[in-house]
Amino acid sequence: MKPLKFIALLILILLVQSCTKNVDFDQIDDANIQTEYLITLVHLNLDAPKFLNEINEEIIFTTDVIQASIQDDSEPYLEKIEFTVITENSFDRNFALNIIFFNVLGEPVYILQPTINIIPNSIETTTIIEIPQEDVGVIYDTRYFGFSIEMSASTDGSTISIDDPSILDLKSSAKLYFNFR
Amino acid sequence: MRKLLLVSFLVYTIGYSQNKQVLYDFSGLPQTLLLNPGAEINNKFYVGLPLLSQVSIQGGFTGFSVYDIFADDGVDINDKIRAAINDFGKSEFIGVNQQLDVFNAGFRLKNNNYLSFGYYQELDLLAKIPRDLVDLFYDGNTDINRAYSIRKLAARAELLGVLHLGLSKKINNKWNIGARAKIYSSVFNLNSKLNRGSFFTEEGSANIYRQHLDNVSFLLQTSGVFLDANQDFDASYIKSKLLFGGNLGLGLDVGFTYHLKKQWLITGSVLDIGFINNSKNVESYRVRGDYEAEGFQLNFDPNNPEEYWNDLKEEFDNSIVLDTLYTKYISFRPVKINGAVSYSFGRQYFDDCRYFNTEQPYLNKVGFQLFSTLGTVHSYLAATLFFERRFSKHLQTKITYTIDPYSFSNLGLGLSTQLGAFNAYLVVDNLLNLNNLYAAKSTSFQVGINFIFKNKN
Repeated sequence: MKPLKFIALLILILLVQSCTKNVDFDQIDDANIQTEYLITLVHLNLDAPKFLNEINEEIIFTTDVIQASIQDDSEPYLEKIEFTVITENSFDRNFALNIIFFNVLGEPVYILQPTINIIPNSIETTTIIEIPQEDVGVIYDTRYFGFSIEMSASTDGSTISIDDPSILDLKSSAKLYFNFR
Repeated sequence: MRKLLLVSFLVYTIGYSQNKQVLYDFSGLPQTLLLNPGAEINNKFYVGLPLLSQVSIQGGFTGFSVYDIFADDGVDINDKIRAAINDFGKSEFIGVNQQLDVFNAGFRLKNNNYLSFGYYQELDLLAKIPRDLVDLFYDGNTDINRAYSIRKLAARAELLGVLHLGLSKKINNKWNIGARAKIYSSVFNLNSKLNRGSFFTEEGSANIYRQHLDNVSFLLQTSGVFLDANQDFDASYIKSKLLFGGNLGLGLDVGFTYHLKKQWLITGSVLDIGFINNSKNVESYRVRGDYEAEGFQLNFDPNNPEEYWNDLKEEFDNSIVLDTLYTKYISFRPVKINGAVSYSFGRQYFDDCRYFNTEQPYLNKVGFQLFSTLGTVHSYLAATLFFERRFSKHLQTKITYTIDPYSFSNLGLGLSTQLGAFNAYLVVDNLLNLNNLYAAKSTSFQVGINFIFKNKN
């Protein structure tokens, strides 16, 4: 075969044969990237004076607030939030921790359920709380995260002493579950 | 949004290389002077067809191909994405290089030196993506104690016009040397390199986890990216910047041809030894610092309410400092190095029945080429075996086999035709993927038309 014919044939073959195999870009509609991000949250380490007022009377109910607004484009993709709360309580009292989300007007929009119940003289206890998909959008409407601790009365009528070495310890983290579709 | 980014990433960023392994030293084409200013050119003069003397597009992504993800093969796309990410190296790079010769011409001087000149536009994009960021994006940060580093994160992008003037000089029968001076005019430049720092989560003491931004140092330099409010990034703006209204720079190419023996030839070149002084529309960002957090420590002290969030933000801003810089900077062009050894053989070519053609005494040439690009953002090496064949005075071909970071089986083909003064050439590579371009991790082609006038004798 003469060179020119060979080259012409080669070019013909290259041109005639399909340049691509089948691809389906519509598959992208089925793609999802499920990503989990871990963030550290609140912690506290409260000793006896935190539960006593100036005249050493017990404070049964105490609160604290974090003012923060979460505003970004992730809302359509956030599927779930899972909180991990680890508590340890050497007081001989029961504590109930409530976490309430408030909107910009200060109105409660969501109460994290269940209430975290910290039993007396408990060793390290882990509680998992989840905000399910149907409620997770409230996080973006929240401007204030309220924390309240309610201490139960003693069963024998005793009160906490300022010298009581007991500690209420709480650690927490959140896992954010995203599904980028 | 992430999916849109993924598709854009896959479809539009198929590759990067500035290796023109087929065109290098091919067929005495005038364009070889742009790859080796010391190349031997035998014509009397030439002129490239304006805007069409060289159209060059190259691209590649070393990670995975479009076909790896979008093959219509019945496999769940999520499994294919997972497989592609599992195969992702410690870092992969993507990029595009495009060149358009606006004009290009050359002629032989009376002293037998060869002068060539022209102007071309070039777009060059490169991003180096560390696996750590891909994993952080895809899997999140639930891998405790794993440090996600930005050390391998680097990028550059530039659009520029290049005016050049080169001279090729024959020293003696063995040596031919050449040099080319360049003036760069940059429309925009973006550079990010020598970054470091990592993000990691570890078990905490006061809280479950402690999270760190460790030893962060990130620099993004830009010029011509952030414009004044009254300035539009439109065609007239780009044209004015390409034509020496942009940030200016200087460059130099040098090269040689050495006849080792009668049939042995060694050639080499170093291209784009140069810089651009970025002084207009400069806006750069530098982030530095260390930060660690264990979350908010709640005090439950109503007498001393704390602004936890603002305190945290303030602490973060004081620890991780973002500076906006408006000082000019120098950017260096990626230096390209070419080298080749070749051996010519085969019967001498008869121009017709009576005369030897003394310009191209052999029909065949085989050889070995090396290409390297050295840059502060990325460097790499490619090796090529080639075979060049002159079928007739009207047709020459070159076949190359290249090993580079994209592929171990890159087969390239060059065709050059000459009909009178009319010359046309076409160069493509990755022929093995021609039956499925989507499977190619890189691709490139150069095409051009010249009018080449040879000496009558």
